[in-house]
Amino acid sequence: MLLVADSVGLVADTPSEVPESPGSERALEARDRVHFEEEALGHADQLYRIALRLSGSQQSAEELVQETYLRAFRGWRGYRPGSNLAAWLATILRNVFLDEARRQSRRPAQESFEDTSEYYLYNHLTESGAEPQEAVLNKLSGGAIVDALGDVPPAFREVVVLVDIGDFSYQDAADILGVPIGTVMSRLHRGRRALKQSLANRTSAEAS
Amino acid sequence: MSIDPCIGIESKLQPYLDRQLTGDEVTMIEQHLGQCGYCRDRYHFEARLRDTVKTVCCGDPVPEGLIDRVRLHCRGQRGA
Repeated sequence: MLLVADSVGLVADTPSEVPESPGSERALEARDRVHFEEEALGHADQLYRIALRLSGSQQSAEELVQETYLRAFRGWRGYRPGSNLAAWLATILRNVFLDEARRQSRRPAQESFEDTSEYYLYNHLTESGAEPQEAVLNKLSGGAIVDALGDVPPAFREVVVLVDIGDFSYQDAADILGVPIGTVMSRLHRGRRALKQSLANRTSAEAS
Repeated sequence: MSIDPCIGIESKLQPYLDRQLTGDEVTMIEQHLGQCGYCRDRYHFEARLRDTVKTVCCGDPVPEGLIDRVRLHCRGQRGA
């Protein structure tokens, strides 16, 4: 049966010598499973981008995504149809990332960042005099932004990545991280300010 | 409302960009932004900065064949 052969998990592990009738329970489950896998794979780009910003390297990001799908396909019955599949997958991705960090004994630290003004970066970029918006933003190179995000302490960075890059809502991020929504808002606030502070530091370093 | 309205705007700018404020708060902020060039410049900067961060951070192409390799990886593990 082609659909089952195309599937990658438990159902495909079952012996296939006995032909199944199309309406049998097992055939129906196989169809659901294939449908689940295809829908899940539709989120691969979004997961990869989150993985890339969490891990910082393309190779690690791809490995994280592969492991995420392996766990998702094994545990597909744990997904509640109709709920947010992208958030469910992102929860697995984050667990894979944390497991990997623990394995390599680089547990994300709760580093402190000075809580600066909301306008810290704006003031920093314009301190040489009034400039049009474009000129101010053009001072930020793409490389500096990616590097600055990497400077943000992991507990704050993961919230910025989920909400500002992954397009998840506060509630989704709270579900993914297993924390109250107030914690998401507080970490997001601090993460964004840390990002701006790091960008200001990096643009100073680039200019000198 | 703060004594200095610009300070009140600064603290609400990010929730405003996140569309987390009530209708009254949104009205108050938009009225202020319409009148205050200082806050308007900073609001535009913060909004553009978010767009720029997102564009840059989502700009890396997803590796070609990623989904095919995911399928292969999962099949290989299943067979292991």
